[in-house]
Amino acid sequence: MSSMSAIPTMSALASTSEILLAVENVTLRFGGVTAINGVSFDIRKGEIRAIIGPNGAGKTSMLNCINGFYHPQEGRITYKGETRQRMRPYVAASQGIARTFQNVALFKGMTTLDNIMTGRTLKMSANIFWQMLRLGPALADEIRHREYCEEIIDFLEIEAIRKTPVGRLPYGLQKRVELARALAMQPDLLLLDEPMAGMNLEEKQDMCRFIIDVNKTFGTTIALIEHDMGVVMDLSDRVVVLEYGRKIADGTPDDVKSDQKVIDAYLGVSH
Amino acid sequence: MGQFKTSYAKDMVIFPIRQDRIGVYLLLGFALVLLPLMMAFHVPPFRTDYFLLAILLPFLILSLAAIGVNILVGYCGQISLGSGAFMAIGAYMAYKFGTGISEIGLPPLPIVFAILLGGLSAAFFGVLFGLPSLRIKGLYLAVATLAAQFFFDWVFLRVKWFTNYAPSGSVSAPELKFFGYLVATPVEKYMVALIFVIVFALIAKNLVRGNIGRQWMAIRDMDIAAELMGIRPLVAKLSAFAVSSFIIGVAGALWAFLRLGTWEPLAFDINRSLELLFMVIIGGLGSILGSFLGAAFILIVPIFLTVLPAELGIPITTGTVSHLQNVIFGGMICCILIKEPLGFARLWQIGKEKLRMWPFPY
Repeated sequence: MSSMSAIPTMSALASTSEILLAVENVTLRFGGVTAINGVSFDIRKGEIRAIIGPNGAGKTSMLNCINGFYHPQEGRITYKGETRQRMRPYVAASQGIARTFQNVALFKGMTTLDNIMTGRTLKMSANIFWQMLRLGPALADEIRHREYCEEIIDFLEIEAIRKTPVGRLPYGLQKRVELARALAMQPDLLLLDEPMAGMNLEEKQDMCRFIIDVNKTFGTTIALIEHDMGVVMDLSDRVVVLEYGRKIADGTPDDVKSDQKVIDAYLGVSH
Repeated sequence: MGQFKTSYAKDMVIFPIRQDRIGVYLLLGFALVLLPLMMAFHVPPFRTDYFLLAILLPFLILSLAAIGVNILVGYCGQISLGSGAFMAIGAYMAYKFGTGISEIGLPPLPIVFAILLGGLSAAFFGVLFGLPSLRIKGLYLAVATLAAQFFFDWVFLRVKWFTNYAPSGSVSAPELKFFGYLVATPVEKYMVALIFVIVFALIAKNLVRGNIGRQWMAIRDMDIAAELMGIRPLVAKLSAFAVSSFIIGVAGALWAFLRLGTWEPLAFDINRSLELLFMVIIGGLGSILGSFLGAAFILIVPIFLTVLPAELGIPITTGTVSHLQNVIFGGMICCILIKEPLGFARLWQIGKEKLRMWPFPY
C-alpha cells in the first residue's frame, strides 16, 4: 500500500511515552463486507488519540474490536503488553477499558446514580448473601462506592440529576451521564464514540472541557471518534484517519490536516 | 420543611421519606398485631374465616410469588411463562422433603427446612431452564419457559415418585409443625405466611437495590453496554433465574401447605403462570411494591365483581355474573395498561412526587 510510506512522523511528546495499546494489521469481515482492512496504529499512555474518517470507514468497528465486542479475523491487538486474539467484553472491562456509545446506551430504567454505580460493579466484592442482608461488606461496598460516584458526579457537574431516571434527561445530559458511568470504572483506556454528536455549541464546549479534564486530572488515556473537525484538531495529540476500512493517514493534527489523502477523502476528488 | 440526609447510609435506606417509613411501620403493626387480634375475636369482617382464607392468605402467598416473577421479568427483563411450574416444584419437593425420601434414607425434615429446600430445588431447575436465555431473548425465551411449564405439569402428573405413589394422584401436606409449634387455625397460617412474605420481601428489596440488582437492571435495559462494563450476562441472568425461582418455589410450597392442604398438579398449571405474569405487569414491572399491588388487584377485583350484583340486589344469574366479571375485569386491565403502562407502582410514585411538591408545583 502506497499510503503507508506517506504516514507523517509522530509528535515529540507522544513518541516518548510507552505504548498502551497496539493494533497490528487488524482485518474484520462481516460475510463479504470487509469493515476493517489491515489497519495498524498504536495508542500511547496518557494521550488523546482521535480516530476520524467518513461514515462507514470502520471507526466504531475498530472500537468494538478493541473492547472485545467484535473479534477480528486477522491481526493482533496488544493491550498493556499482552497480545490477544479473542477476548470477551467483560475481560476487556476488567482490564481497564471503558467506553461510551454513539447512540447513548444508558440503562434507561435506572437513575443517574444507579447508572454510575453500575460502573463500579467490577470493584464490588460482597457476595450475594451479604447483599441479601445489606449489612457488613455489602453495606460497606455500597457506601464506599457511592462516595466515589459522588466525586464523579461532582466532577461532571450533574449533582441535580442524580436521582432522576436517565430516560427523562435531555440528550446532552444523557451523554454526560454516560461519560460518568465510564469514568466510574476508573479506566486506563477510555473509548469515546462520538461524544459530541447531536450537541449544541455550549454542550460541546462543556464536553471538551470534561474530556481534557479527565485526561489531565486522572491521566486517563483517551481514544475518541468525532466528526467535528474543530474539536478533533483542538483536543487530540494524534489522529488516525480511516477510509473504507483502510488507514490513510496517522499523525499530529497539523500533519493530518494538510495530508492530501485526507483532504480527498473528506472533500471528494474528481477522477 | 425538607428532609435532609447527612450521610450516604441514611440516603440509601429503603424508605428515605419519613412519611413512607411511618406508613410502613403502621402497616406492619396492623398486619402483625391488629389483624390477628381481630381474627381471634372474630371482629367483622372476620366473622367467618372466609375473608382470611379466600382473600388475605392467597394475597400474601401470591404476592410472594409475584415478587419472584418480578425479579426475573421486571428487574432482569427475562420473560417467563413457567412460574407455575416453579411453584409446583417448590410444592412437590417441599412435600418430598417434608415426608422424607426413603430411597436415600432421608427422614422427614422439619417443615421450614422442607419449604426452603423446595425453594432451592425450584432454584436449581430455574437455572437449568434459564440456560436458553443466554442465547435467546424476548418472546422466544417466553416459549422456552413455556416448555418448563408443560414439562413439569406432565412430570408431577405421571411420575408417581413425587406423589409418594398416591393412587388418587393428589397429595396432602405433612403436619405443619413450625419449630415444634403446630399450625392449624387460619390465623396461625396467616401469621406463618406473613412472616415468610416480610422476610423475603426484605431480601428481595435488598438485592434489587444492591450490586446484583443493578446488574439485573443493566442487562434488562441495555445488555450490550452492560457486558462492556464488565457485567457477565451468564452470571446476571442465571442469578436472576435462581433467586426468582427460589422465591417462587417457596411461595409454591406455602401455597400447597397453607392454602390448599391437598393438591394436584392442576393447581400449578399455565393459568397460574399467566396470573402471576399479569400481577407483575399490572402492579408494575421492576417494583417490589408493584408485586403486592398487582396481586391485590388480580385477586380482589374478581371477588368484588362477583359479590357486587348480589349486594346491590341486581337480579342476575350467577352464570351471567361470572361472564360479566370476565368482561369487566378484562376491560379494566386494558384501560389501566393504556393509561399507565408501568402499572400501579408508577401511579403511586407519581402521586408521591406530586405530594412532595404540593402545594407549589415547582
